[in-house]
Amino acid sequence: MLEIPNNWLESVRKLVSEASASPGPATVRAALAGVGALEEHLQGRSFRVGIVRTFTIETQLDVIRLALSTIPCRPTIEIGELENIEQILLDPESKIMSSNPDAILVLWRLEELSPRLLYGHDMTDGERERAMADVIDRIQRLCSEYLKASAVPLFLSTVPVPYALGTGLDDLHSPYGWHRAVLQVNDALLDLAACHGQIYLFDFASWAAAVGHTAFDLRMDLYARQPIANRAVMTFGAALANCFRPLLQPRAKLLALDLDNVLWGGLLGEDGISGLKIAHDFPGNIYRRIQLYALTLKSRGVLLALLSKNNPQDVEKAFSVLPDMPLKLRDFAAIRVNWREKHENLKDIAHELNIGLDSVVFLDDQAFEREQMGYNLPAVRVLSASEDPLQILGALVACRDFDVHRVSLEDAGRNEDYAMQTKRRELELASRDKGEFLFTLGLRASIARVNESTIPRMVQMLGKTNQFNVTTRRHTEADVRRMLAGSGNLLMGMSLSDRFGDQGLIGLVIGIGNDESGVFSVDNLLLSCRAIGRGAEQALWSSLLRNTSRMGYKTLMAEYIKTPKNGQVSDLFDRFSMKRRPDSTEERVYYELNLPASYPMPQWIKVVDET
Amino acid sequence: MAGNGERLLQAVADALKVDVASVDKNSSQDTLEGWDSLGMINLVAELERVFEVQFDILEISDFRNISIIKSILAEKGIRFD
Repeated sequence: MLEIPNNWLESVRKLVSEASASPGPATVRAALAGVGALEEHLQGRSFRVGIVRTFTIETQLDVIRLALSTIPCRPTIEIGELENIEQILLDPESKIMSSNPDAILVLWRLEELSPRLLYGHDMTDGERERAMADVIDRIQRLCSEYLKASAVPLFLSTVPVPYALGTGLDDLHSPYGWHRAVLQVNDALLDLAACHGQIYLFDFASWAAAVGHTAFDLRMDLYARQPIANRAVMTFGAALANCFRPLLQPRAKLLALDLDNVLWGGLLGEDGISGLKIAHDFPGNIYRRIQLYALTLKSRGVLLALLSKNNPQDVEKAFSVLPDMPLKLRDFAAIRVNWREKHENLKDIAHELNIGLDSVVFLDDQAFEREQMGYNLPAVRVLSASEDPLQILGALVACRDFDVHRVSLEDAGRNEDYAMQTKRRELELASRDKGEFLFTLGLRASIARVNESTIPRMVQMLGKTNQFNVTTRRHTEADVRRMLAGSGNLLMGMSLSDRFGDQGLIGLVIGIGNDESGVFSVDNLLLSCRAIGRGAEQALWSSLLRNTSRMGYKTLMAEYIKTPKNGQVSDLFDRFSMKRRPDSTEERVYYELNLPASYPMPQWIKVVDET
Repeated sequence: MAGNGERLLQAVADALKVDVASVDKNSSQDTLEGWDSLGMINLVAELERVFEVQFDILEISDFRNISIIKSILAEKGIRFD
């Protein structure tokens, strides 16, 4: 039920899977202890979540903690007193809000939000209508006050359909029944999430619907107001883990797909084009669904790659003549149809697209191919599929690695972006030297302070940029909002475009200013991997020096923290003419520069500086 | 395989987060720390899991000491020799 990280020790995986199958206090505590004894990097980042709620979950927190730990992360859960939602969330001094949380979760039900709507048999239609409006008004007011008071991401649960009210057949046909109240409250919640980047949803209602009549336990609900059934609490924890995962884990970027018996039924080499199954009726409709889902992922910014052992001419022909193929060859960012080993092909593709193997998901119907991939490229996520096409579709749809709360413009445009990248590479090959290439690109950069609309993209880049990243500090959304609130701090983003297209926001610099000491410290400087090699960092640096000099700082500090992936920026600050401090080590290099200072804007980029 | 008597004491200890050595057949709400309202919820969940039974709400409200729990379990076919 829980997806356990496959780099965890086998003994710990066993403890967690035993606890997951039968969550008793002893098994869960043993599993938590096992996870807690793992090396810290395997446990993941610390994740503090504050929970406010209208019902009891105290006795179920260990299970929830265990489920969250498999994200992976090191969860700390702070729980608020029953019901006191506004009192807790709107008071910066409350135990939860002062505990420096990474996320706040609100768990509520209509049963507590408005018992009158469920049991108010003596209410008139007018009173019911007002009661509904009151609930929605309360939620909206809470959110608008919260957004003024806190920078921490707020996860609101949708409200499940009340489970102990009989069929409600007449209610369903009345204008102000509880069915409508549930829909209206959830509608209002969806509106809030659609309008505010800091508000997220936890789909409590969908969890309850998927689990069905065993989701809740009326005995314990009435005995202790603990509605979530103990038999279901592990799935509840798993749903929460899925909901929080995108805050903690960078999403996968590439889906590498096998062709025969995955994207169509049959073997092209043996059955010929006319023998392939891909159509609107069974069984071709299953393969069509797989293709359509791959296209859905593509539209959300996932890159597709095709890995097939076939004759390339046959594959091209099949794609061009088969009438019911939603996928076209141009949908793939990379294609390898040949007789080489798939892991060699995939390694090439990752290199070509400049993405890490740990952000690749591989889907193949052949156990042999899956095993070989897992053995040779252990960082690649190999989906557990089989030759059953429905199971292949199921594995793909169930894969959480592509999940993201909000698809940014940059995500959605990624596929076009890689096509532009290919054109740039062609131009680079045709240019005499690097300098000429850069000038012919027609680069335009725009630099602006980070604001509400750019926060999600900034947090995304902080979470997943590895190569051009001087400190690899993975700040959360809450961290970014906190830093934005500091008056001496400077957070600047840079977007880049050239004659091939717009790459959107690709650069970020974060600096923390201390007015008393006159020191301005660069917390991080990063560029998205698709913008590397065009000198854009120089524009960002030039703007940073101009700003910090103007703000009156006397000293600029920066540091480089070495990781296995960020070797290319090990001398970045040397190139920026900063002085290395003597207390530097190989792992951590400290730099200083006296202000005021300046750095030339790169001549090959037309820069609009809006800071 | 431990006998049902020992499994019962172990389940109570696990649910109430106390050492199993401090639980015996005479233990009750008054002698065991942790046997409060939250402990009670844990206790019901753990006994249902360990013995694969389901208690009704009236049985739960009777859970005051080990010997009552034992007799309720016995009514559900769990044998204590």
